[in-house]
Amino acid sequence: MIFCNITICFEKEKGNFYHERRKGVSKRMKKLVNSASFVVILAMMAAGCGANSGSAGNGAESSNGGGSGEKQTTINFIHWRGEDVKIFDQLIEDFEKANPDIKVEMNVFPSEQYLANLQTKLMDGKYGDVFASYPGAQFETLSKAGLYEDLTGSEYIAAYSASLIEAGQKDGKQYALPYQLVYNQPVYNKGIFEKLGLTLPQDWDEFLALNEKLKQNGYIPIAFPGADIGPGQFINSMMMNNNTDEQIWAKVEKGEAKLTDEWFVKTLSQIKELADKGYFQKDSLGTNKDIAGSLFAQEKAAMLATGSYMMAGIKEQNPNISQGLLAPITVSRDKAVYEGIHTTTFMLGINAKSSKKEAAEKFIAFLSDKAVAERYANGTGQLVTIKDVQYSTPELQESAVWVDKKTRFQPRYLISDAKIEKAVTTSVQAVVSGMDPAKAAADAQKIVDQNVKKQ
Amino acid sequence: MKQSKTLYLFIIPGLFLYLLFFVYPTVNGLILSFTDWDGFSSKNWIGLENYKKMLVDDSIFMKALTNNLKFMLGVVIFQTLLSLGFSILLVKNSKSNIFFRALYFFPTILSSISVAFIWGFMYNPNVGVVNNVLGRIGLEALAQNWLGDPELALYSIVFVQVWAHTGQMLVIFVAGLQSIPEELYEAVYLDGATKWQAFKHVTWPMVTPAATIVVAYTTIQSFKAFDLIFALTGGGPVYSTEILSTYIYHTAFQSSEFGYAAAQSMGFMLIIAMITFGQFKLLKGNRAS
Amino acid sequence: MNHLNKDTAAGRMLKQTALIGFALLILVPVSIVILASFKQMTDLFENPLGWPETFSLTNYVQMFSEQHLGRYFLNSTLVTITTIACILFFSSLLSYAIYRFTGWLALVLYGLFSAGMIVPPQVNMIPIYSLVSDLHLTDSLIGLIAVSISVFMPVSVFILSGFMKSLPKEMIEAAAIDGASEWRTYAQIVLPISMPSISASAIFLSVMVWNDLLFPLLLINSGDKKTLPLALLQFQGEFMTNFPLIFAGVIIASAPMVIAYIALQRYFVEGVTAGSVKG
Repeated sequence: MIFCNITICFEKEKGNFYHERRKGVSKRMKKLVNSASFVVILAMMAAGCGANSGSAGNGAESSNGGGSGEKQTTINFIHWRGEDVKIFDQLIEDFEKANPDIKVEMNVFPSEQYLANLQTKLMDGKYGDVFASYPGAQFETLSKAGLYEDLTGSEYIAAYSASLIEAGQKDGKQYALPYQLVYNQPVYNKGIFEKLGLTLPQDWDEFLALNEKLKQNGYIPIAFPGADIGPGQFINSMMMNNNTDEQIWAKVEKGEAKLTDEWFVKTLSQIKELADKGYFQKDSLGTNKDIAGSLFAQEKAAMLATGSYMMAGIKEQNPNISQGLLAPITVSRDKAVYEGIHTTTFMLGINAKSSKKEAAEKFIAFLSDKAVAERYANGTGQLVTIKDVQYSTPELQESAVWVDKKTRFQPRYLISDAKIEKAVTTSVQAVVSGMDPAKAAADAQKIVDQNVKKQ
Repeated sequence: MKQSKTLYLFIIPGLFLYLLFFVYPTVNGLILSFTDWDGFSSKNWIGLENYKKMLVDDSIFMKALTNNLKFMLGVVIFQTLLSLGFSILLVKNSKSNIFFRALYFFPTILSSISVAFIWGFMYNPNVGVVNNVLGRIGLEALAQNWLGDPELALYSIVFVQVWAHTGQMLVIFVAGLQSIPEELYEAVYLDGATKWQAFKHVTWPMVTPAATIVVAYTTIQSFKAFDLIFALTGGGPVYSTEILSTYIYHTAFQSSEFGYAAAQSMGFMLIIAMITFGQFKLLKGNRAS
Repeated sequence: MNHLNKDTAAGRMLKQTALIGFALLILVPVSIVILASFKQMTDLFENPLGWPETFSLTNYVQMFSEQHLGRYFLNSTLVTITTIACILFFSSLLSYAIYRFTGWLALVLYGLFSAGMIVPPQVNMIPIYSLVSDLHLTDSLIGLIAVSISVFMPVSVFILSGFMKSLPKEMIEAAAIDGASEWRTYAQIVLPISMPSISASAIFLSVMVWNDLLFPLLLINSGDKKTLPLALLQFQGEFMTNFPLIFAGVIIASAPMVIAYIALQRYFVEGVTAGSVKG
């Protein structure tokens, strides 16, 4: 073979030379390598046999310690919010004090690989006794796989606002309880708006004028994280009034409505208009949410195209900032139906394959308690779905105002097929980068066609 | 010496692991490709449907394939030419040459993640170095959205890949060049040849084996650029940097379509085999002449 | 070579420019990153290219204390050393067997492993994941090690059997006359003489295993079992804007390889030329 020529010539020459030099070392090294590997092989075989018959002892704290005769259960709690870890640690400590026979072990996986990791862990039955999930496609996938324990009729459900827990229901049964309430609409800098005498826009022209004025005054009107969450967040408030049919995404997924229809193309062209007029920061498609967030926190940008969940973090970066939520109204005043977008997320569920369901239920009941939820909310800066919670920070109070407004459940989460969802967010990226809206819509529709549910 | 039976014992541990964790999954992949497995439910046989979908009904697969080919071509061409060029300049074993060779080789030992972070920062449109530097030397007009512009992103990554691996190919070429006997050059120069003719008639034919290796190695490497792209852009924006390996990963882990992903993997393997084979033939033919 | 003496002044300048240019292209990004790791975030935003205002080690400290980088470092070390040790042992046995077998078995084995080099891991990552999951070995270092061994073994087999082919048959004859068993011939004659090839293979593989992202990504989820590349990737999710912190992580993760490279450069190069088919 051709390959051998070079390698062998090279090796042979060097080989002889090195052999002489390394003769002494080689025997020792060889012995070391051999003994090390024998030990390793034995260990592997031993561990390999052990792994099949249950916990490998790695990670999960063993529940049979002590020898005091007390039976202790350890439950595993999985979610994606690294930001909440400190608060959860405190809450878990209190829970464990109140329930000495239960220990809670928490695992956090970043949101991108969350679903992938979650599925495997749940299937095993070893992990995820209590786990958090997203509504929409993720909920669909997991409930289809039968991974949610049916919670219908449990006492603690009464603590939740009835209208806010629908996202975790299927076929009339409650499978998961959304814990967080977020508003997926742009955050705006109240100080800048006041300074420039701006009022909240009531229709599209007013929104455009608002942006123009901001731009004229040297601000970035909208910080748009086009690299990650921007498209998926912004599309909601932009389309909510362009198409008010709650069933629209179900229809698109069945092929009964198309992305090339007027409402979607209009949405895309309105987003494109914002980009073309320079209302997004430069290179928005290369900007991620953290950088967009800093632009907003540094008061270089007047609006941030994400949602209420970022307000707490922004406040940390800039304690002097005063924030509020607004929504771009994409139609004329009289046609506007919705004022904003809400999502109920971070849905708590119990692994149907868990062997520790009782303990898991106790934990969920604990979290559902009003006082506990209040601590969580004020500690993490997130709104919760539990009734009658008192919010103490200005950001939370500001957001809580929206509970009484007419908001729509995040349309994007009504897309149950992940590929279609991605096609939609990609089309937003496409128009921001300059593609013609009709073409972007057609490209996305092509992907929809390829994935239409063959009922 | 006659073979003793113990030889069969020798091959058992290695072969066992290899068969179990490598060969068996590859074969299993083939079987999976005929099912509609979603990662946890049952595996239902659906015949050739996945393959049909892949070839006719999946515009993203085609896009990923095109991207992969573009990427491969870009990397192979630039990396081979650069490494060959540098190897000619650095073929002598002088102290400075050895230093340069060692320096150029350095990026190879960094993990793709590290390389991705370094260049992710360099390319960042807001705080990154490239645009910053361009701005300072007055070439602001050239500042681009290196990773955010769908037209440009893939090529920005080609650049990074070449940056990281040219040194590795350089070493192979140097080894190849150093094995060319001096006498050949002396003979040819005695006949009054120019440098270019010397290259054409002595260097090129003798370096073709090394070139074959470099091209084959670079090709396979570029198809495997999963780590780099996953960490830099995740396949976006607008699928412009989605290559086959990242798309397979997304199909399995984002869309929960494991059966389909397995089919895509088979297609992937076939494509690589075809390209490698084609290259072989091409360069082998060259050598014969 | 003689013909290079025929350089013109212009030619030489061009050569120097090209060499220095590419050298800068490598040095500049790397030094920026190294310098950045000693800065704080705001410092970086103001002054991305320059010398740090104050040299602060807080990022490094944070990496080890808050982010448990030490744990991931340990994991990477454990996985790499175990994998390499096993691969070297198994593949040397295999290569020896291939060398000694006559007839079709040797060819089949050689072909089997060589083919394995052409198959990129992305191709069978799904079935491997499915298998490991069925064996309940997901999220365990054992599973990761087993898979890494199997996936990277072909390279070593290729290098070692290639080397052994060049060994003179007389060596084996001599051993036979002495009445040595297969094992003794392997252990006391062939293995020592193959040391350079083995060391080259070892280093080549170490880089690949230490830097591997795909299999840890696929098979490891738990916080405390992550290897360094996976941990770095997940930092990206948490700390996307805190570049200095991430860079400190990058430097810590790369340090062992860099140190090994400086000390054992020769072997790195040998490894590449010897293993110059598979990536």
